[in-house]
Amino acid sequence: MTRVLVIDDEAPIRLLCRVNLEAEGMQVSEAADGPSGLEKARAETPDVILLDVMMPGLDGWRVAEQLIDDPSTRGIPIVFLTARAEFRDRAKGLDIGGVDYITKPFNPLELAPLVRDLLDRIDRGERDQLRHEKLADLRALMEE
Amino acid sequence: MTAEQQAIYLNAVPLLVLGAAYLAAGLSLVPALVRSRGALRELELALALVFPCGGIAAIVFGALVLRDGEPVGGSGWPGFVAIVLALVPVVAFFVRFRERTLILTAPGIARAAEELGRLRSAETVEEAAHAVAERARELAHVEVAAVALIDEGTRTAQGLAMIDRGEEVDWFREVRLDLDREPSGIASAYHDAAAFAVYDAHASKRVSQRLVERSGVESVAYVPMLAAQQVVGVIVAGSVGRKHAFDSDDLARLQALAAEAGPVLERLRARPHGPREVAVARLAEQVRTDADLDAVLAGTMEEVATALDADRCFVRLGNPDSELTLKAQWFAAGLEPLDGSNIARLAASNLAMRRNTTVAISDVATSSALRDSPAGGTQGILELGSRAVLATPIVVFGELIGVLAVHRTTPGVWSDADVSFLEALAGELGLGIHTAQLIVENERRLEIQRGFYRIATVLGQPLSLAETLDALAQAAGEAFGGVFSAVVMPRAGALHVAGAHELPDPLRAALEEGLAEESDALRLASAERRILASRAVAGDERFSARWRSLGPACGFESLLVVPLESREDTAGLVLVFFGEERTLRDDDVELARHLAGAGRGALERSALFEAERTSRSLAQQLARTGSVLATELDPAAVLDEVVEQAPALLGTDACAIRVVDAGDLVVTAVAGVDAETALGVRNDAAGPLSGEVAQSRRPVAVADAASDPALFASDALLPAGFTAYLGVPLVGPEGALHGVMSVYGRHPRAWRPEEIEALVALAVNTSAALSNAELYQRVALEKERSAAILENIGDGIVAVDREGDVVLWNRAAEAATGVPASEALGRDAQQILGRSLSGSTLVPIRRGGGETWLSVTEATMRDPAGDVSGRIFAFRDISADRFVEEMKTEFVSTVSHELRGPLTSIYGFAETLLREDVAFGDEERKTFLGYITSESERLTRIVDALLSVARLDTGDLQVNLAATDVQPLVNDVVSTARENGGGGHRFVLDLPTEPLAAEADAEKLRQVLSHLVDNAVKYSPEGGRVTVAARRKNDTVEFHVADEGHGIPAAERERIFRKFYRADADRGGTGLGLFLAQGLVNAMGGRIWVESAEGEGSRFTFELPVARVLAGGSGPS
Repeated sequence: MTRVLVIDDEAPIRLLCRVNLEAEGMQVSEAADGPSGLEKARAETPDVILLDVMMPGLDGWRVAEQLIDDPSTRGIPIVFLTARAEFRDRAKGLDIGGVDYITKPFNPLELAPLVRDLLDRIDRGERDQLRHEKLADLRALMEE
Repeated sequence: MTAEQQAIYLNAVPLLVLGAAYLAAGLSLVPALVRSRGALRELELALALVFPCGGIAAIVFGALVLRDGEPVGGSGWPGFVAIVLALVPVVAFFVRFRERTLILTAPGIARAAEELGRLRSAETVEEAAHAVAERARELAHVEVAAVALIDEGTRTAQGLAMIDRGEEVDWFREVRLDLDREPSGIASAYHDAAAFAVYDAHASKRVSQRLVERSGVESVAYVPMLAAQQVVGVIVAGSVGRKHAFDSDDLARLQALAAEAGPVLERLRARPHGPREVAVARLAEQVRTDADLDAVLAGTMEEVATALDADRCFVRLGNPDSELTLKAQWFAAGLEPLDGSNIARLAASNLAMRRNTTVAISDVATSSALRDSPAGGTQGILELGSRAVLATPIVVFGELIGVLAVHRTTPGVWSDADVSFLEALAGELGLGIHTAQLIVENERRLEIQRGFYRIATVLGQPLSLAETLDALAQAAGEAFGGVFSAVVMPRAGALHVAGAHELPDPLRAALEEGLAEESDALRLASAERRILASRAVAGDERFSARWRSLGPACGFESLLVVPLESREDTAGLVLVFFGEERTLRDDDVELARHLAGAGRGALERSALFEAERTSRSLAQQLARTGSVLATELDPAAVLDEVVEQAPALLGTDACAIRVVDAGDLVVTAVAGVDAETALGVRNDAAGPLSGEVAQSRRPVAVADAASDPALFASDALLPAGFTAYLGVPLVGPEGALHGVMSVYGRHPRAWRPEEIEALVALAVNTSAALSNAELYQRVALEKERSAAILENIGDGIVAVDREGDVVLWNRAAEAATGVPASEALGRDAQQILGRSLSGSTLVPIRRGGGETWLSVTEATMRDPAGDVSGRIFAFRDISADRFVEEMKTEFVSTVSHELRGPLTSIYGFAETLLREDVAFGDEERKTFLGYITSESERLTRIVDALLSVARLDTGDLQVNLAATDVQPLVNDVVSTARENGGGGHRFVLDLPTEPLAAEADAEKLRQVLSHLVDNAVKYSPEGGRVTVAARRKNDTVEFHVADEGHGIPAAERERIFRKFYRADADRGGTGLGLFLAQGLVNAMGGRIWVESAEGEGSRFTFELPVARVLAGGSGPS
């Protein structure tokens, strides 16, 4: 059973993610800020972390950095949830070590397939390839 | 030693030796004897024979002693001693063996020298000739020798001396030979200038047969005597009674003699000889050396008369056209002297004078030449007792100057010698007289020179005009020897005393009263530049009675008047007064002319000096004035300064400056006693005087303007007591007429050119100073204006010089950089701002704690020559603009984020609800829908806020002010905040108990408060207390919202109310809250501010007016 950790300061977003991921048969845990998110990630070592970027206190970038710095959580793929439309914000997430990003507003029905597909590819050892594809997409978008 | 031995060794042998030595000496002389056998005399022969003869005698004695074996006289020793003594001469001979022939020649040389000495010491030609003849006879070994002298002048040879066997031959001295016409040996020797000999005199054609006959010579030799390349005489040597062939030795000896004798004869011949010649020579010497010609002549007259055996001798001088004057005379005792009564009748000298030839009359009584002559006839001469007359003209350098004459009381023929003697005397006298005249002339010249010198000395000293005139009087007095003197100069048409020397007061007073004008002669002398001399003024009709009476009174008798050379119509006069009667001499005239010339020179020089001195003082005064003007920068002050200075410059009494104003000349500045009344008076610029200056732009000088009614009326200063007028134009730098400067004198005066020039120069100075001052004022005004502009301009303006040092730093620059001008000036931008302003349009600098962005434009400053003199930077603090720009960008992103948040929820829950694969419970659905609702509301609030901001920006914000109760509204806001999950925060309400109402728009007030409270919660994430308070303060209601959060850094405090500013970008929010809050508070007539300490929290305060409705009861007293 796929375990997903959602770290977001907005309760409606967390609920949205939980409802839709659980509907697909995934196990979802939540954190309302960065510190508690890190704590949960270390304790639960979820399969995927959905990480909001804009949070008061410890923001998403810093949480991601700490996750990657920590050997126990380094392997967990991180998908950024961002309201920021700028490409550089999306690229930043990938640079830090995130494997994908989701731009708000998003269709919650797409969350589960995205997570599933992500995990499949990582299982196939295509983690880095995935990141590179995303970066290439971004680059293509930026060039438009 | 035996007697025999003594005889042999002491006598015989020495005698033989002695004899041998003597014989040897004698033999050694033989060649010399043979050589000079002909010339030897007995004495020389005797000397030569001493040696052989003595030698033979000694040998004979020696042989006798040897034979006898007996010493001479019994003992050998005395003989031996005698023999040794006899050896001395021969030893001496051998010691000087080389000079042995002297024994033969020395006496001859001595004799020759003696004869030569006699020749040289000869006093007369005859004596010398005698000696030469004597010597020639000896040298040639002949019986007869003679000397003849050549006279080049007469082309004759004259016999001087002949000696025949020791006897003087007298007739020879009378011999005269014509060198050109009569053949003679002497003539041949003269013509050929070569010696020759004739063997047979009788047969020869080259010799004078009459002399040969008379002297009886058979063979003759002729040798010319030379002196200074001239043949002066001939030596003749002849044999009598035998023929003699003269060999070359003879001739050579004679030639040697001739060479010695020639110069001696020439020298002696040049000497005068004979009483007449001596007389002539002495006279010549006297007249040439003795300055007192008269005394010499007087002494000479008797001598001449004696020499010519005459009874009367005299000299008359004069030229052929004038009367002859008697210069000197001598007459034998008993005769009458020549005097005025008879002198004109000296016909012979008159005739000699007229004909310019010597007149010799052997008997006046029978002379036809005199009788028929218009020269005076014979009567006069006869009356003097004279019968024979000889007169010769005195000619010097071709000029006939007089006549010398001698008279005899007895008739008699004048010999040629007499005539030539008198002629020679006349020649010498002429020279003497000429010399004497030269000396006299010289002395006269010297006297005049001394006069010149005195004049020059006296006139050379002074420089000023007054001193020069006095000196001129003194020079004249001293040069002419007057007792006192004066110089009168024309002034205003009359002659006035200008200089004086020792002048008595009454005379000076009279002269000053116009005495000079009382004499027509004086006036004429002045007008026609005539020298005037009055020998006795007292009796001179040309002078007035006063003149005539002043002479005795002041102690003068004569007057000499010398006009000074001058370009004026009337010349100045130098008056020299003499204490005695004085006639004008030629010298005086010359001196007077010189005085006139020298006086003119001195006066001109003095005039130059005076002009130069005036110019210099004018120039100094001008320079002083100029330097004062150059420093004056106020045009009005310049004018005042000039009118104060100008009178001093020219010694005038007033000065006025009129300035052109609307076609008129307005008196703008004036100086001078009583002149101030003219200030402000307007004159037509076309009028006279100043008007004329303005029209012509030339100086106008009037000596006496007040006397002309038209002029008097035209100038406001003239009625104030001024009359002399000098006006010059003031012309500006562009050639525009600025005005007229005029100076005034109280008394009439003639303006000198240099004064006019000086005033023109002052006017130029003034114009320049005025222009300067005006320019300065304009520049100052410009500068002030520029400074004001620069100070008040919004942009920072910084100017740097070539070195980059700041020279201008305006107020805006101070504000933009935070650096005061006082700190910035003189330093460069690098030092002041930490970086250069150059080279970039956007320059970030540090200011306070933060960074300020300057937008810089720069320009190069150039001086008038076009060289770079510095740079100007204009800049503006665009930090705010830049900030707003940045925040705008941020805003777009923030707003999109803020909008995306609720949109995500709304969209997400809507999609979720639409899921068909999941069946949600009612509770879940309700929750989802609740989120959709609340997030929609959130979205609405955000959009409202944006709209409010837009309205604030456009001024469209509508505020509905009304009395609003504070307490319920605050309570409502805080409870909403509590509900919205300010979890970790403690809300404290601090509200008054009594009712409090603000004049506010309730909705807007709520918006402000809730935003402040939201912020307080948002920026104190660690929780803590949030205090919300409201209280009345005077006429306002003061609201506080305080938290215990991060606080706001000081640098950010003023920014937080700006649009789009967000303290923390990651915290979300539009950045519009505080901006909106401030806008709303302001719109409600209040104000908002913040106090904060970093790390301790912030306290936002805003105040609103107290509601009027409720204020009635509880308002402040």
